[in-house]
Amino acid sequence: MAATGHFLNLNRASSLTSRRNNPPRSRSTTRLLPPTVKCNLSSPHNNPRNHKPLNKKSTPPNDHDKPLNKSNPLPPLAKTLALSAATALLFNLASSFNGGGFSGGGGGGGAGGGGGSGGGGNFWSRLFSSPAIAKDDENDEESEDWDPHGLQANATIRLGKLDAFKRYRVSDLSFYDRSQRAVVGAEDSFFEMVSLRPGGVYTKSQLQKELEALSTCGMFEKVDLEAKTNPDGTIGITISFSESKWQSANSFKCINVGLMPQSKPIEMSPNMTEREQMEYTRSLEREYNRRVDASRPCLLPRGVKEEVLRMLGEQNSVSARLLQRIRDHVQKWYHDQGYACAQVVNFGNLNTKEVVCEVVEGDITQMVIQFQDKLGNLVEGNTRLEVVERELPKQLQEGNVFNIEAGKQALRNINSLALFSNIEVNPRPDENNEGGIIVEIKLKELEQKSAEVSTEWSIVPGRGGRPTLASIQPGGTVSFEHRNLNGLNRSILGSVTTSNFLNPQDDLSFKLEYVHPYLDGVTDPRNRTFRTSCFNSRKLSPVFTGGPGVDEVPPIWVDRAGVKATITENFTRQSKFTYGLVMEEITTRDESSHIAPAGQRVLPSGGISADGPPTTLSGTGIDRMAFAQANITRDNTRFVNGAIIGERNVFQLDQGLGIGSKFPFFNRHQLTLTRFIPLKQVEEAAGKPPPPVLVLHGHYGGCVGDLPSYDAFTLGGPYSVRGYNMGEIGAARNILELAAELRIPVRNTHVYAFAEHGNDLGSSKDVKGNPTAVYRRMGHGSSYGAGVKLGLVRAEYAVDHNNGTGAIFFRFGERF
Amino acid sequence: MMASPISREWTGIQQFPPATQTKMLELLGKLKQENVNSLTILVMGKGGVGKSSTVNSIIGERVMAVSAFQSEGPRPMIVSRSRAGFTLNIIDTPGIVEGGYVNDQALELIKRFLLNKTIDVLLYVDRLDAYRVDNLDKQVVRAITDSFGKEIWRRGMVVLTHAQLSPPDGLSYEDFFSRRSEALLKVVRGGARIANREMEDYSLPVVLVENSGRCNKNDCDEKIVPNGTAWIPNLVKTVADVVANGSKGILVDKKLIEGPNPNQRGKLLIPIILAIQYFLIIKPIKGWINHDVENERKPAWELWDVDSAGRDGHLSN
Repeated sequence: MAATGHFLNLNRASSLTSRRNNPPRSRSTTRLLPPTVKCNLSSPHNNPRNHKPLNKKSTPPNDHDKPLNKSNPLPPLAKTLALSAATALLFNLASSFNGGGFSGGGGGGGAGGGGGSGGGGNFWSRLFSSPAIAKDDENDEESEDWDPHGLQANATIRLGKLDAFKRYRVSDLSFYDRSQRAVVGAEDSFFEMVSLRPGGVYTKSQLQKELEALSTCGMFEKVDLEAKTNPDGTIGITISFSESKWQSANSFKCINVGLMPQSKPIEMSPNMTEREQMEYTRSLEREYNRRVDASRPCLLPRGVKEEVLRMLGEQNSVSARLLQRIRDHVQKWYHDQGYACAQVVNFGNLNTKEVVCEVVEGDITQMVIQFQDKLGNLVEGNTRLEVVERELPKQLQEGNVFNIEAGKQALRNINSLALFSNIEVNPRPDENNEGGIIVEIKLKELEQKSAEVSTEWSIVPGRGGRPTLASIQPGGTVSFEHRNLNGLNRSILGSVTTSNFLNPQDDLSFKLEYVHPYLDGVTDPRNRTFRTSCFNSRKLSPVFTGGPGVDEVPPIWVDRAGVKATITENFTRQSKFTYGLVMEEITTRDESSHIAPAGQRVLPSGGISADGPPTTLSGTGIDRMAFAQANITRDNTRFVNGAIIGERNVFQLDQGLGIGSKFPFFNRHQLTLTRFIPLKQVEEAAGKPPPPVLVLHGHYGGCVGDLPSYDAFTLGGPYSVRGYNMGEIGAARNILELAAELRIPVRNTHVYAFAEHGNDLGSSKDVKGNPTAVYRRMGHGSSYGAGVKLGLVRAEYAVDHNNGTGAIFFRFGERF
Repeated sequence: MMASPISREWTGIQQFPPATQTKMLELLGKLKQENVNSLTILVMGKGGVGKSSTVNSIIGERVMAVSAFQSEGPRPMIVSRSRAGFTLNIIDTPGIVEGGYVNDQALELIKRFLLNKTIDVLLYVDRLDAYRVDNLDKQVVRAITDSFGKEIWRRGMVVLTHAQLSPPDGLSYEDFFSRRSEALLKVVRGGARIANREMEDYSLPVVLVENSGRCNKNDCDEKIVPNGTAWIPNLVKTVADVVANGSKGILVDKKLIEGPNPNQRGKLLIPIILAIQYFLIIKPIKGWINHDVENERKPAWELWDVDSAGRDGHLSN
């Protein structure tokens, strides 16, 4: 008894029937599975039909058959990513054993489900050997035939008396605990040990195996199985047992026995003398102690161990039920922490003062990165392995315990590279190393080169207002992308957009960008990215906008074309420092695309005079300048149950170098401080309500030195002071914006109230020509309002304090 | 002092009654004694208050086209007259109010016209027979102040035209006059941002004017206003007093018109500003980021490190 008492294998492998229909009870059983975890992320662009680059210029609406996310650059991708990361992680418990048939019988085995080996510790072998019986049972379900017992009703028969060739239908099943002298119910923890179930059909040998399994599992000192004949030809089965008990223990030890040979089942020849038995037992004990010494400490924290100790202390003896509870408790901790492969495999040193809990935690023995082609065949990838490796958390490296959260993190990180159409992070058991886990990362690469032409036709009214053939204008975008140059994630992308290909000089916008990540080398932890681009853009200047009650001010378009080279250093996912050089040519044009050296204004007489504020520094309508740019962003915001909290600080600096028209020398700076303050402490968990949040925001912008009007700071607009049009409050040299917003969560979204103020600090007159005064703007203004967030859209009612009138606005995205 | 190319002999002075002529020549002689041999008077005010008529009255000629219903010409005009080595320049300006607003453009024209001239006296013209003052008056005063600086009001005087009236509701003429001028002065002081304690420096005399041909005359055939003063000599005398009050004339130069160039201000400080920004903003933000990195809330799985101290295998009671 002492010998068997040393080892208790909780993972009974024998199984006759499936517990599939018994979810509440099967839970703990399935928990014991060392799962083959498949972190299968289907990234948003894995649609085989269109392997298209993500960063595309906007797609015209009539351009059917294109994925939606293509037209939006990165932000939506991040959304989709979060979504797919959450949904597409398949915990594919492919191999089944132990508790039987959870996922359909699994591997080929048929080795009797380890039932024969009883406490045989090698659960990895069980992994691939699934009970054949269980499989049978799965397949033919309830409909199978059964044989009536053909005996007198209400007779109690011993198992041995049953007919070996008959298939008995078990109509009811009961458990009798001899020590408690009571029938135990289905809620008893032992119930799960038995794989029989009422209504099943079993042969004598199956029942024998079940009994054998129960008696060798170590949980019971004695187990009997009796059948009772029922009048309807079925039998009722009573399993009577007495629980194994060991002497009480007052210490608890948890060891990691992963990567060690499993403890062997104890075989003791019955014909040993007592002395031999003693000696054999002692040698076993010595061997076990050596094993414990050789084992590695486990991750289980002190707190959990203390809880287990308390459990031990509550009872006079260590019973099998208690060990089951301890096992569940320990495993629950592991699984809650994401150690999905961790498993309690044995309790050792029973009948001593110490209970030793043997855990296979799931140590990673190897990490493999594989590339697949579209058909799933292994191929040599273009991407350098270092690029992927630097994205992997160190917890996924060899020698660590596999954690599903680290796997998910790896998935998210790799996906953010935007190089792969499909990413799988797959832990699988290491066949050569018992208890080891090989982490497999399977990647499907996206096409390196892509080009796209999207077109749109616009029909402009011709003579007489009617569209004519000549008035149809072909427009569209031509773009190309060459990704992952040299396998180092370098890329070149370019695009040209025009609304009229026949006359492209009218409005041609282009962008050509080269991105060079890992500036310090792909293995250097420092993450700096070099970017250079040629660009042009055309924007309506908010400086030349009328104040309230002013009739249409003739618009001024600001065209910028130039080159830019920056280096971005990422400190965290959100915090970064960017610095670089910009050289650009700025051209200001009026409505009819003529170069406009000064703003226009409407005279009271109705005429238009072109002697408004100067648009450029040079006074000619064309400025050229070079300046240095720096931007440091500190962002530690995070989501708490869907509400954003934290701080964001941005400082941006444009430093003129005195190179360009009129030798522009200036220091233009902006500081933005935003705080998201939770007003209530909430528990962080999925499904829990988000806290109400107070958002405080301040923005200061200022410029010393040469300030052309297109670089003046404007007040008013959805990202400045809501409730006003862009620039409706003023354009100034120094500005201050203050805003507060209170967000109250309602259902899945939130409602908010806000108050904002923008002020030119009296510096409107310091902009040449004083455009604020010329277009009769106040120079300061406040607004308040309330709104509701509907998905990505904000619907808000804002009252403009200068006029006292309110209006409803619909806006995309966040204000802060 | 500039020499006006169209400085003609002041013949109009001879049109004045002898008594006026005597007083005027006396005043001019006095000015000459003080080494003032040229005066430039700027006349400003809202439209239709009688600026041009006043200029005509002073010169004694019909130099400015005046019509009862039409607004004056859109641009400023200068009249120069010399008499016995003394030159008088009067600059008449169009009304700077249009459609209830100060017309920036008109103001701009005036400023450009005045470039490189020195203004010795500013005549701010309004009507005596207007009963109330409003915000527009203040705006006009403010526009003048913003254009030429507050200092111009040291050389300023208020001229009230249409002085020949019968006050309403039995108010005595003196009362009416003092109330009206008090109200107007208040507006002027407000618009010019003259604080109460500065009132000493800005005397702002008020002069009554009646340009109408039906103006009453005294025994000497001088035009008089209802309080009995012969107003032309009185006006010239007040001008002479203002010139003699110790303040300086306002030279309208480019700087005054355009204001200080804001693009030049502080340019030399940029290197210092840059240094401050680097050390007091960028560096601290970097520090905060490092702080964030250290205090990042890591998920539990990142903390259960293989080497963590919590991994003692054994625990006993």
